[in-house]
Amino acid sequence: MSADPCRGAESMMQPYLDRVLTEAETSRIEVHLRDCAYCSDRYVFERGLRSVVRECCCDEPVPAGFVERLRRRCSDQA
Amino acid sequence: MLLLADTLVEMASSEPPPGVVAASEARDRARFEDDALGHAEHLYRIAVRLTGGRQSAEDLVQETYLRAFRAWRSYRPGTNLAAWLATIMRNANLDELRRQSRRPVQEPLDETGDYYLYNRLAETSPQPQDEVLARLSGTAIVSALGDLPPNFREVVVLVDVGDFSYADAAGILGIPIGTVMSRLYRGRRLLKRALADRAEGEVVSA
Repeated sequence: MSADPCRGAESMMQPYLDRVLTEAETSRIEVHLRDCAYCSDRYVFERGLRSVVRECCCDEPVPAGFVERLRRRCSDQA
Repeated sequence: MLLLADTLVEMASSEPPPGVVAASEARDRARFEDDALGHAEHLYRIAVRLTGGRQSAEDLVQETYLRAFRAWRSYRPGTNLAAWLATIMRNANLDELRRQSRRPVQEPLDETGDYYLYNRLAETSPQPQDEVLARLSGTAIVSALGDLPPNFREVVVLVDVGDFSYADAAGILGIPIGTVMSRLYRGRRLLKRALADRAEGEVVSA
């Protein structure tokens, strides 16, 4: 995050949310997020978006008896 | 006691009798099957997003387990079983796509920034971070994911839905970690663009 700190924060946002930044990078973006409303608003939004996507896909109901059916079919073939 | 000692000597000095091998192999296999089936629901949810349909997801997971049970000896205990199964599932899915001869879609051009969705939604809503997220329906998200080109969709689904690490996803897909990252970031940007279009559609139709 050199010339434009907000640009730098934007480019680090995805890896930051994925928890793959180094310790030094993590603390740099966290210091910036604490001081910058523009970036922290977007951070909150990005984080929320991820959990919305995850929840909606993980709410997918598994068909009744799915695992048992699978077990039976696969042992028939064994 | 003498009998036990004899047995121990026999076990140490020679191959165990065939019945013992068969029994312990059957136990290993049964245990493998139980462990593997413990991941079935997780794989199903990934499969629904990969294939875009419930029936095709069920077929894909079934094919995955048939292959996995045939190849169970090649799984090394103690390694990541979910990733091992996901690798099989991904290959089974590729085979199916090839069978239907659907060619992978060309990489789309996208020059939108990371905050594209936020910025678009902020035009119509003063508080995008709260209200607009609630406005994104499950249907919109599912259909937006389904519209991603397959090679972007599979990375996004593995990492953001399946919770696999970059390294696991690289192993499952057989691509370098750097490629995982670039497809993941671009895939997410494409998803946001697709969501922005859908969110606006919903506002207009509301």
